[in-house]
Amino acid sequence: MYMSSKLTKALEFANYRTTLNVQHNNLKAKVQTLLNYSINGGTFEISQTLISFVKTLIDQGNSQAVLLDIYTNPIQVELEIFLEEITSRYFEATNEYHVEYTKLRKSRKVHKLIDIDPDD
Amino acid sequence: MTRGFLMFAHNNDEIDYLKLAVVNAMLIKKNCDIHNITVVTNQASYDYTVDVLGIDVVNNAISNIIITEKDKKFKTANQRIYKDTNHKTTPLSFYNKDRADAYELSPYDETILIDADYLILSNALNNCWGHNNEFMMNWKYEDIMTEREDPTLRRLDPTGITMYWATVVYFKKGNFAQQFFSTVQHVRNNREYYQSVYKWPGNLYRNDYSFSIAAHMLSGFQDKAIAQLPLPTLYKTFDTDDVHSAPALNEIIFYLEKPKSLGDFMICKWKGVDIHVMNKWAINRISNQLMEHVA
Repeated sequence: MYMSSKLTKALEFANYRTTLNVQHNNLKAKVQTLLNYSINGGTFEISQTLISFVKTLIDQGNSQAVLLDIYTNPIQVELEIFLEEITSRYFEATNEYHVEYTKLRKSRKVHKLIDIDPDD
Repeated sequence: MTRGFLMFAHNNDEIDYLKLAVVNAMLIKKNCDIHNITVVTNQASYDYTVDVLGIDVVNNAISNIIITEKDKKFKTANQRIYKDTNHKTTPLSFYNKDRADAYELSPYDETILIDADYLILSNALNNCWGHNNEFMMNWKYEDIMTEREDPTLRRLDPTGITMYWATVVYFKKGNFAQQFFSTVQHVRNNREYYQSVYKWPGNLYRNDYSFSIAAHMLSGFQDKAIAQLPLPTLYKTFDTDDVHSAPALNEIIFYLEKPKSLGDFMICKWKGVDIHVMNKWAINRISNQLMEHVA
């Protein structure tokens, strides 16, 4: 009973745009977390730039390379395996982001943004 | 190379920290697939929580329980104001003295030391294991409602050093980590002196302060020189926020207090990202739901 009246009040006061913004921030936080990848004692932030750079190195005939991680520490990686891993993680993260973001964009009420029944 | 999580959980008159640690241990196992979990507590907290949850639940969640003696003088002196939203404030004992002893207490070669209220809703911290950086902790943090800014959480003093968060610390046993925790113990044991130098406010002893000072000293008195954790940032809520429910695994619905309208809340669903929940009562209110999802 206590929670129900509190929820109603919270929903009354909730501003749709602010809620949308916070929910979007959560999605961004989640995708950024998924795009951090540690290997061989270093950590990389998976990005389009990193993927392209690694692919370029492979196309130039390299099988191993030393890359600078987010701490600018030198990390040696096997390029083919590394590329496969970062590409797979990149699409896993962005596909999930796309699904959730599309759902958010279609939600026009606060309770739909957070997927909750206001009568609960 | 052994790897594990370490938490400290000393109950006070109202907060069942050990229950929070049990819930968090279950989340760690589920999300990080790490089963080495050590919790440092005291006999009274252990007896109380075992009475509430049952010994099987506690022992299944936590692989290693270390019982320590509380320093009664410290316990009485270190009081802080706990908030269960702005509607309820209570001064209670804040027993955090033995966190500085984490190096000696941890049975693992690699340890992730976390607060019991830093809820593990992802496997992001697995990025720490085997890292070249032997010691990592964050000064970078964000509130989940980005427009809420508290400058007292950025520095020990407005003109002072950067504040690191002792909420999550990764360390690998070795010279640097040992020296770091020795320095933290030194700051803790000579608190008046260090407070006069670093000018943190109030009389409360906080590990964030002693860890920040140790970080500053061991970095050759440079700012922000300790490596950050391999996470985008640390996310937190305030103790003025509340929790509505945990509708599914790794999902928590929060009531976030509006920055320009105190006492009014907006609602937010947080999903799949680790989060520091400052309102301890609020976590305990949904702890059974959290446990059901991981069971």
